[in-house]
Amino acid sequence: MDGRTFFRTFRDGGDKNGMTELVRLTDVTKVYQGGITGALNGVSVAVEKGEFTAIMGPSGSGKSTMLNLVAGVDRPTSGSVVVGGTELGQLGETGLARFRRDHIGFVFQFFYLLPNLTALENVLIPAQLKGNPASGRARELMERLGIIDIASRYAARLSGGQQQRVAIARALINKPTLLLADEPTGALDTRSGEQVMELLSELHRDGQTILLVTHDAKLATRHAARVLSVIDGKIVDDARLESPELAASDVIRVRGEEASR
Amino acid sequence: MSLKYGVLGLLKGEPLHGYEVKNRFEGMLGGTWDVNIGQIYTTLQRLERDGLVRPVGSRGDRGKQLYELSPDGEKALDRWLAQPDSGPQQLHEDIYVKLLLATRIANGDLKGMLARQKRAYLQRLRDLNRLEEGARRDGRIDLARLVRGALLHTEADLKWMDELSSERFGTEGTKTE
Ligand SMILES: Nc1ncnc2c1ncn2[C@@H]1O[C@H](COP(=O)(O)OP(=O)(O)OP(=O)(O)O)[C@@H](O)[C@H]1O
Ligand SMILES: [Mg+2]
Repeated sequence: MDGRTFFRTFRDGGDKNGMTELVRLTDVTKVYQGGITGALNGVSVAVEKGEFTAIMGPSGSGKSTMLNLVAGVDRPTSGSVVVGGTELGQLGETGLARFRRDHIGFVFQFFYLLPNLTALENVLIPAQLKGNPASGRARELMERLGIIDIASRYAARLSGGQQQRVAIARALINKPTLLLADEPTGALDTRSGEQVMELLSELHRDGQTILLVTHDAKLATRHAARVLSVIDGKIVDDARLESPELAASDVIRVRGEEASR
Repeated sequence: MSLKYGVLGLLKGEPLHGYEVKNRFEGMLGGTWDVNIGQIYTTLQRLERDGLVRPVGSRGDRGKQLYELSPDGEKALDRWLAQPDSGPQQLHEDIYVKLLLATRIANGDLKGMLARQKRAYLQRLRDLNRLEEGARRDGRIDLARLVRGALLHTEADLKWMDELSSERFGTEGTKTE
């Protein structure tokens, strides 16, 4: 690599199509106050820019804890969390808040919209915190997520699927480097859940890096090419799934009893 | 299900000869069940012997012979359609037997076996998802429904691996006497 290539790589954070590391956890542990065992027990993992990664594991295994540490919502007991080249441990509270605002979009199972604000107002909150007049982008996003028609309705009056799409628009308003989704389909029926996952997939196709926690292996493997399995605060498997061209008979065989007599 | 009722079902619509039965059967199943033409002829001969189908027109060479459903064949088909699938659950995968053996073998690497199997099921889920998408894109909703069934079955297999992974394994409870 010559000097110029290096400079460009450095400045752009890497080749657009090549792999660039966006998140790195190194030996991360988390012990909550009063916790008997650690919620995370030595997690090391890296996520590339543009990846769609699913995190799966039983209840209480540490999935949300992992997302919270990556989001800078919480700090690890030991180990380091680096996101976009920034070591989060080096940031003070103000720095961490700014990091979250500028780089992280977070979507939750129960949406957490402000019920007395309209859908559009909810979407605009993070932009206002940043001092950004972003109503153009908000409308664009809402158009794209199919919720422009409900922009002026109060959040409390929306269906679960609509609320989740508003929450996704809100998470995206500041063009986050990283979109974190913790069970975003957990409170939705199958159909709305699938629609929300389709949306995430579309965002991923446009280059969005996504870390998704889900209990639904069907949805995880449909949309994410990488599945991390977490058990007892440890990553026990890191599966990178393939997408080969396959004939139906390579995947399914319907077989009856052999005709007798 | 045996090929028998598949053939009867296809003949319900119109008389067909052996090759048409084979092609339609495979087309209906989207390539998920291969049959050879010999099996089709054998099946048709047995059905004719049992009075469930009969030849139409003069008996030409084997490939050209048309068959139609007889009234008895129609009754047999209706009976079969109305009957729920019952009987023992069919488990076709080696993993079931591997697990039984691994719990008996002192250094059978059970955890590793479960982890590898789990990963294989994840990959299969991904393959099935893509197959379902393809089927929907091609307007093959019937096939997409079949794939959906396979997805749910594989999800259950995956859950079973997870349950087993969280267990402690000893040699207790493996008595065969
Ligand atoms: N704020 C907290 N204070 C104390 N303990 C906590 C806190 N948050 C989580 N824990 C504990 O840490 C462990 C991991 O919790 P976490 O929420 O990360 O699990 P999870 O994998 O997200 O589970 P679920 O699938 O149920 O959401 C659990 O034992 C939980 O009880
Ligand atoms: Mg959680």
